[in-house]
Amino acid sequence: MGLFHKQTDTDDESLEEAKLKQEQFFDDYFREELRNHGRWYFDKVIKENGNLFKKDLEAVIAQVNTDLKDHVTKQLDGAVATLNASLKEQVTAQLNEQFSTYSKTMQEAQDQALKNMTEGSDELRQQYHELSHLLKDNIAEQNSMMHHAFEDHKSQLQAMDEAQIAALKWLNQSAEKLQDQYQEINTMLEKQVTEQHDRLIQAFESNMASTVEHYILEALGDQFDMKAQMPGIIKQLEDNKQAMVDDIKL
Amino acid sequence: MIAREDIDYKEFSLPAGVVSRRDLARLVIEAEHIDDEMTTADVRARKTNRAVETPAFTGQFTDFLTDNKLDFSESKVRTDIIKELRMLKTKAPVVHTTFAVPADIESLQTLAAWFRESVHPQVLLEIGLQPALVAGVYVRTPNHVHDMSLRSALVGKREVLIKDLEALRHGK
Repeated sequence: MGLFHKQTDTDDESLEEAKLKQEQFFDDYFREELRNHGRWYFDKVIKENGNLFKKDLEAVIAQVNTDLKDHVTKQLDGAVATLNASLKEQVTAQLNEQFSTYSKTMQEAQDQALKNMTEGSDELRQQYHELSHLLKDNIAEQNSMMHHAFEDHKSQLQAMDEAQIAALKWLNQSAEKLQDQYQEINTMLEKQVTEQHDRLIQAFESNMASTVEHYILEALGDQFDMKAQMPGIIKQLEDNKQAMVDDIKL
Repeated sequence: MIAREDIDYKEFSLPAGVVSRRDLARLVIEAEHIDDEMTTADVRARKTNRAVETPAFTGQFTDFLTDNKLDFSESKVRTDIIKELRMLKTKAPVVHTTFAVPADIESLQTLAAWFRESVHPQVLLEIGLQPALVAGVYVRTPNHVHDMSLRSALVGKREVLIKDLEALRHGK
């Protein structure tokens, strides 16, 4: 806009004409183009300046960070050292105090335990003596009872031995009797078996013939037809021919 | 042909088909029947002057006439033959035979032929059945019994079996 203000108006007509031309030249389209061009240029300048500013800002931030880190580190180291020292002193004091308390308590507990153990030991010793006396009494009593029982069992065993000897004697006698009876029964059985055997053999012999006969009759019952028998029949008739002739002639 | 006066039942030969007395009775009945028919035909022929028509004979009767050389055309001869056949039926010797199985006709004819050839020419058989015989034949003639069955043979040999068993027992 300043450029146009620098142009001098020569005369009114030319000014009007120039205005008219200017209006014709600087129409809306051109103005819009100029605006766009200006807008683009402004954006470009802003963008370049922004980038430069950004780079500067990043460098500043990095520097600030570094410095801040160093400073904070130094501050923290100092604070930590101070804190460590004070904490160490405090902890040491507390630990010493607690250790002294614990030692005292332990000592008291030890004393109490020792006292208790001493008392228990005395009680145990006394109980041991009592039990020892009781055990001795019991053993003496058991010994006496065992002695009596042994005597009783001894007499019972002696009686059992006598009874066993008597039973053995009776068993031997019974065994001898049984042996004799066994011999008699054996002889009798052998005799009966022999007789039975003979009877069976005789029965077998007397029945065998009929058994064999029955078997043959059953086996051959339907085996012969008349034509097969004819030669044998004729032969037997020939053998009895004369007897039949004589009988019929009578 | 045999003359009328020579006709005698004792000389008759029985055909093979006639085995039993029943067969012979059937033969007699046939002879009587044929005689009746021929007599009737003869009377009818005389009345009508036609030739006498001879009736047909059975094979058995034909064999009988042929074997014995008999002419059955004459009435008186027919009467004699029938009379002799009746005599034969009464007088013919009968042999009772019993078998273990039913006998077929061929075997019976063979048996009858043997009896007529070997024992008596006019033997008639009476047939019986007894399965207990197992095999063989049981023959009864008028006065005797001939047991030729297998059962009888086994019974007869029983002593032999007992003797063999006894020997076996003592051998052991």
